[in-house]
Amino acid sequence: MRLKDDEWTIAHLHQHLQAAVDLEFWTIPYYMSALYSVVDRTAQAVQLVQSVVNQEMLHVQLACNIANAYGLSPRFAAPVYRGHDIPHLDFALDKPDPRPEFAPYSAEIRLLDIPRINGMCLIEYPEWDTGGKAILRDTITEYGSIGEFYDALQYGAGLLRRHIQGGVRQVDHFSAFYNNMPSLTVTDSDGDGYNQVVLLINTIREQGEGASGASAALPAAYQNTADDSDPSWPHFQKFQTIRQTVGKPLTYPVTLAVDYSDHQRALAATLAETFGRFRTALEQLFAGGNPGGFVPLMISVGAGIQNCWKNGVTPRFG
Amino acid sequence: MSTRTVFRVHPTINFARFGTSQDFYYSPETSAGLPLDGTDTTGGLPLQAAADGTESFVRSGDLRDADGNLKRQAARFRLYAYDLAGPDAYPNGGGVEILPGTTLADGRTVAQVVWTVHLANKKANNYCVVSSEGLNAFADGQVPQLRNPQVYGTPDSETRLKSLVIDPGPRALVAGGTPGAVVDFDATTPASYSDGKGGIAENADYPKSFPSGLLYEPMGAIDTLGELRTDAQGRLLVLSAFGRTAGKYDEYSQVVQMTGDTNNPSWFDDAADGPVSATLVFTDGTVAEAFGGWVVCCDPSYAPQIRNVVSVWDDVFDAWVRTLDLMPSLYANGVYNGDYVPNFETDIHPVFRAAALQRWTVNLPPIAQRAHAAVDAIAAADDPDQTIMAGLTFIRNPNLAGETSVGVPLMPLSLGDAGKAFLTVTPTQYFFLEQWSKHRFNTAAAPALGPGELLDQASLSNCLGGRYVPGIEVSYTIRQKDIYQQDWASTGAGPFRIKHKPLDYSRAVAAKPFLKGGWIPLRHQDDGLEPGDLCKFMAIPWQTDYNSCSIHQTSINGTNTATGSPTTLYWSWPAQRPDAVYVADEVVAKVLPPQKWSIRGQGSFALNPRTASTFQDPLEAVQQWDQIGIVLQGTVIDGNDVSPDHYLEVASQLQDAGDPDEPVLAWPFNANPAKAVLDGPLGGIAGGARRAPAGRRRRGR
Repeated sequence: MRLKDDEWTIAHLHQHLQAAVDLEFWTIPYYMSALYSVVDRTAQAVQLVQSVVNQEMLHVQLACNIANAYGLSPRFAAPVYRGHDIPHLDFALDKPDPRPEFAPYSAEIRLLDIPRINGMCLIEYPEWDTGGKAILRDTITEYGSIGEFYDALQYGAGLLRRHIQGGVRQVDHFSAFYNNMPSLTVTDSDGDGYNQVVLLINTIREQGEGASGASAALPAAYQNTADDSDPSWPHFQKFQTIRQTVGKPLTYPVTLAVDYSDHQRALAATLAETFGRFRTALEQLFAGGNPGGFVPLMISVGAGIQNCWKNGVTPRFG
Repeated sequence: MSTRTVFRVHPTINFARFGTSQDFYYSPETSAGLPLDGTDTTGGLPLQAAADGTESFVRSGDLRDADGNLKRQAARFRLYAYDLAGPDAYPNGGGVEILPGTTLADGRTVAQVVWTVHLANKKANNYCVVSSEGLNAFADGQVPQLRNPQVYGTPDSETRLKSLVIDPGPRALVAGGTPGAVVDFDATTPASYSDGKGGIAENADYPKSFPSGLLYEPMGAIDTLGELRTDAQGRLLVLSAFGRTAGKYDEYSQVVQMTGDTNNPSWFDDAADGPVSATLVFTDGTVAEAFGGWVVCCDPSYAPQIRNVVSVWDDVFDAWVRTLDLMPSLYANGVYNGDYVPNFETDIHPVFRAAALQRWTVNLPPIAQRAHAAVDAIAAADDPDQTIMAGLTFIRNPNLAGETSVGVPLMPLSLGDAGKAFLTVTPTQYFFLEQWSKHRFNTAAAPALGPGELLDQASLSNCLGGRYVPGIEVSYTIRQKDIYQQDWASTGAGPFRIKHKPLDYSRAVAAKPFLKGGWIPLRHQDDGLEPGDLCKFMAIPWQTDYNSCSIHQTSINGTNTATGSPTTLYWSWPAQRPDAVYVADEVVAKVLPPQKWSIRGQGSFALNPRTASTFQDPLEAVQQWDQIGIVLQGTVIDGNDVSPDHYLEVASQLQDAGDPDEPVLAWPFNANPAKAVLDGPLGGIAGGARRAPAGRRRRGR
């Protein structure tokens, strides 16, 4: 259901901000599992997905920083990877419907294959400009694309800019990777703070779908200046490249879960347990805490995913 | 089976290090950064002898003399006797130290030891270092361009040998003879050597050669390559020279400009290397020759406890395992034994420890510091699958050549060997890590090394490995089996011993250079090395290479296929060549201050971050290298309220207040982009390097 401007409340904004965090966070295990399933770590597909994963981590940070500026410390619920369900997005609502072009797709955790690459493309699929102002919806599942979702979020954030409190629970682990970016945190309140909020939203959108229009390259401000093989490409372009030109790289052989050995079951359990602790640490981090084990846990999740694949185990996260 | 007694010099390879002081301390006898029994101080520290003969780790106050001059590090060699019942194996585990007065099990008593050492410097007569090629520059019968091509001839030409090789000849010293004797490798001290019968022979006609003619000598003349002494017990001490350089003048009476880091023509330095021999003389008049060692005179150790992820030990051990049948139970017939069980503390944890120590010498971001700390915290009892190192997900595989082009997240994240963007651990290190990852390791005590074997390991563990472009102490030739005594098992020489080329000093005549061009790699030359055959592959002068090898783009290795921005900067030699340090004097109540560049102050201000922590003028590098500080553990830092767990810079003389300086940037940081790239069609630093295939067009926003 559409909402009018005067019906958009801070509660609605918080709901959208939590949804943004949910969505960005959901992509990390999904992309990372596909990434670490590839045997050849020099493969172009690996480099491309790795760079996207790095930016999805950045996007989680940015979404959380915006949320905290509006008084919300986000939660990190266990993401669910089932069927075709991608949090808060209903591609059927997008016009034209992109699903036929990216069929088949799957939201389940598997090695890097066509359904996963298609899923990645759909998530980062660019929005078709409606030519009008953003549509504010009552239910966050009513958005057809990530662009439409962020349009609404930004519009609502503008309506409620008076709520911004700069410098609250802001986290920055990435600024050294973006030398041309003025700020990755919200340090100011009111108007200046809103400009920072818009910058962070733009960063997510530009890097994800390439929101600047039809030009091939991201503006320099949004480009990774350190460790991205193709810093000028948005995520959609990277995934399209894999889909259209790179092909499916060799992945680790997988054992059916019913045939797991004790060691394999232990690996799966270790990853799930580590990921659970990582979610708790994330929540603490973006609630103003300083969880000591945050960095090792973050890295251990990646290590655990590849260790699963190397041993024939499909990662699971809850 | 009858036993035989053999004698060996240990360490097989040891390192004397430059200083500007007449004073000195002893080479370390423990391995950098590793824990030691009974002390919180980790290994790698040199040793200081007190007046009463007791020895202790050097402390911050021991690094410079009363006048502020940097002390030298003497390479100390010891003698050990081994009783062998057959071919030797590694590790031997035995060995008893022999000193003048020692009585052997067979009843013989050592009266004295005649030590002979021959130092030489052949750098100016050797071939150029080729950073993009390394060893491959000698492949297929080719050689790189000669250094100093303006001096006509081949490396064996008399003209070149006379004018470009520094060779004072051999020197001998009797341990157990005159106390306090000092024998100098200068132009006036006669060449001397063991006569093999218990005495010392001299050859006054030995054709000594030093840099001659009109020379620019900013730190003084190169008039010696070092000296010999003994310690109070009669062990050999080899001291280096003083780290001096000399440059020739050109036709316009200008000092020939230094134009690069590694191959400066018309310049000399006083680095050196050469064989160490020992003749044991027994009280019954008999003599015995020991299997000798080798000494290298080289750069100071600016961070002696900061362990290299790949040390020279790792490279030498790997080369011996894979090419010289060191341990058939580990590697045979070209493959590792999958049933081999490495030891956690000795074979695996040193890599983890090294990673954690890098933070004290480079500008690692906090996220990396925390990750490395978690790596170091892995204990023998931990399940590898439940650690941050699970699956070796983030370790670059040395067996997959392409991975040397992949940067983050693969480790180590420092620059690689010649022609390779990034470093890898050695194949043997990686095999050990793989075994650990597969739960195939033991947590029991490792097979005991003998005391001499421990010295071999410690000496080489404290040196830079992995990235020989060209290196700090030694270069890529240290991996070549041709340089070693390959019959180590049957002769009883033991492993890791450089083969001495037999030299008959009695035949030396004044008119003819004694040494030749010498050994080069990939020629199947296995008849031994001459003095100077190791360090000739190093930079000339050494200071320009040390100075420049702080931070680089990956293109410095002649390749830039690395992932990421071509302007991203990485560390060249992160443990051995400090880039960013914490200054001990700036620590307050054990709280660390912001880092500073190791090379800072006047003459170091960098307009481009790629030359940070560097003297901007190479002439300053050859004149101020001795003013750089040393990184030591808090346990041996005097007068500051510092943590014993911190490794901090002390004794720097580069801290002139008011000098222009720049802050240490957090990694990742970038070199200034080339203008052409900045002005590229896409307006971004790396934009448009490769274009994606046409995707679905979007409507403009």
